[in-house]
Amino acid sequence: MRSILLALALALVAGAGVACSDRSGTDDSGTRPVAAVDPLTAAKTSFPGLEPARPGDLPLGLDTASPAPGTVAVVPGPFDDRFVLRGVRLADGVVSGRLTVTSDVSDLLELEVVAGFYDADGRLLTTAKAVHHLDEAVASHEEGPPDETAPFRIAVPRRLLDRVASAAITVPVLVNE
Amino acid sequence: MRMPARGTTALLTLALAASLAGTAGIAGAESSRHGDQADHGKNGKIKNVIYLLGDGMGRTHVTAARTRYYGADGHLVMESLPAVGQVSTYAVQQGSGQPGSSDFAPNYVTDSASAATAWSSGVKTYNAALGVDAKGNVVPTLMEYAKQAGLRTGNVSTAEITDATPAGQMSHVLLRGCQGPTYSASACQNPTLTGGALPTSDVRVTPVADQIARNGTADVILGGGLSRFDAADESALEAQGYDVLGSPATQTVATKTDLAGTSAPKVFGLFNKGNLTIEKYKRENPSSVQAQEPTVADMTAKAISLLSSGKKGFYLQVEGALIDKRSHANDAAQTLEEIKAFDEAVRVARDFARRDGHTLVIVTADHECAGFNIIEKGTFTNAEATTPPANTDGGNTANNSTPSRPSGGAKDPVRSTGPVNGSGAGDPKNFAPATFRTADDPAGVVDGSPDASLWLTYLSGNHTGADVPVFAYGPGSDELEGSIDNTDLFDIVGGALGLTD
Ligand SMILES: [Zn+2]
Repeated sequence: MRSILLALALALVAGAGVACSDRSGTDDSGTRPVAAVDPLTAAKTSFPGLEPARPGDLPLGLDTASPAPGTVAVVPGPFDDRFVLRGVRLADGVVSGRLTVTSDVSDLLELEVVAGFYDADGRLLTTAKAVHHLDEAVASHEEGPPDETAPFRIAVPRRLLDRVASAAITVPVLVNE
Repeated sequence: MRMPARGTTALLTLALAASLAGTAGIAGAESSRHGDQADHGKNGKIKNVIYLLGDGMGRTHVTAARTRYYGADGHLVMESLPAVGQVSTYAVQQGSGQPGSSDFAPNYVTDSASAATAWSSGVKTYNAALGVDAKGNVVPTLMEYAKQAGLRTGNVSTAEITDATPAGQMSHVLLRGCQGPTYSASACQNPTLTGGALPTSDVRVTPVADQIARNGTADVILGGGLSRFDAADESALEAQGYDVLGSPATQTVATKTDLAGTSAPKVFGLFNKGNLTIEKYKRENPSSVQAQEPTVADMTAKAISLLSSGKKGFYLQVEGALIDKRSHANDAAQTLEEIKAFDEAVRVARDFARRDGHTLVIVTADHECAGFNIIEKGTFTNAEATTPPANTDGGNTANNSTPSRPSGGAKDPVRSTGPVNGSGAGDPKNFAPATFRTADDPAGVVDGSPDASLWLTYLSGNHTGADVPVFAYGPGSDELEGSIDNTDLFDIVGGALGLTD
């Protein structure tokens, strides 16, 4: 029964022009009788008018931030009411600190802290980020309640070490289980 | 894979207990409703399905909430539904085939994403996958089928609406963390499965919020998670005719007053930037912003009233999400209060179904969370013992083993300093039970005291592989009796609505 459904799913994927990673091991024979709907077109897989993400896009605000020399600014992001930051500093070519999620007590699935680095005139030189990604396919849970504190370290690229005077950070990605 | 339905005897016992219950809680009232069910509840043609799930709500969660609020001989509303069964919930490994295939590789403990995909699309998939099978292929969902067939559709949750359970009906992503508002390669791409990064135009790496705002799969969308949506999403929703309560563009949350005021056929209302607020906080802070959030029962009632106008019937999913979230936190007090709040949504659905006569109500869970247990008053768990009992065996082939607890054991005062919802709550090393007064306790017994009669413990802060209960009311409800698998829920609901065969 499930293999029939899979065959339909494959047909659907092909029809929608969506890449398929593995077509082996499935059964193409037969179709599942469906009373009122067409499984080939039921799934919504395209969104006219939606601009696909450009992976290099900067989080809003880092390009216009202009932190004073020696400081680390925090640029507002969508999830600022879900965490507290502690110990944020720029020292020895590294922005570091600790982020503690206050909105949940469950596994931290996704977190991105993006840093912008600026010269003495407040011009953005480059960005870099710290990424936390829990791979549920291989993750083994730690004992006890999940830890909601994530330390982060984001290094200034070596070539810019003597030009960086300040930094800004923002959190565009945060997901708890 | 389904097994023959049984459990009629148990049901009769339940009905008898209910009729004897007399004064306690709602039990007396519930007993008469079995008769009502026998009269007409099972015989109508099914037009509508209301599918409610308590996230993380195992069988013991139900028993504990019943005991806490209604006493040992009371009932939650869900327990008054006449059809009762149990659901296996296992997931599979990434890349696995379906059960029966040579490359089938099970994973005994599911997450909410894999479970939601099982009942929404009828396939086993890996933990974190939504609307795709374990090989990464897009699989259509029941709510998409329902929409295409012209039924009205609704999706209600106390979590972020982009969270796994609601998203399982109205999105297709390789990883549940791909929620938005922005695309993130690490959150959205699954290169070990797809052999490299997919183009960002591929639905499977398109943030869930972007999909929900544009696919029109649910006519009525009520829950939390406003932070996941932005101005472009608001425009896309309005272009499809949704009445958008509050505003994603300005990040203004909707309120229960906004909800009461709408009668539009398509409604999008998110009442918190994140998950909705636990009932306890709203109760104790009635003038707070959060107290303006509707309850899950409020949202269910409104969704039914908005959806039931259609000629072709409707399909509504309702999630009580905070049961799981508070179970992860081993917060028994709020877990129980959220189960009661969820049960009030079940009451709304059941009452509608009784009036309507053509509605199948299904109440279940996606998985158990945290190994919730009721222990005997005054006892302690292995985790509290000075030396947890060794798993010894005398090697006797007649299986006459040496007892694994050769002596009575002793409670370790360091590992167990007292009830965790009382004075010991601040100590993370405290393995002691949470204790609660119940309807059976004399006046003056307080929560968190050794005198309270309901003693609850947690095994862990994570999901477990236990089967979960299913309760059902209405025409076709006997399909839910016996032992079923979570993928069978796809066939049962699809068949009931004439969407699948
Ligand atoms: Zn969970």
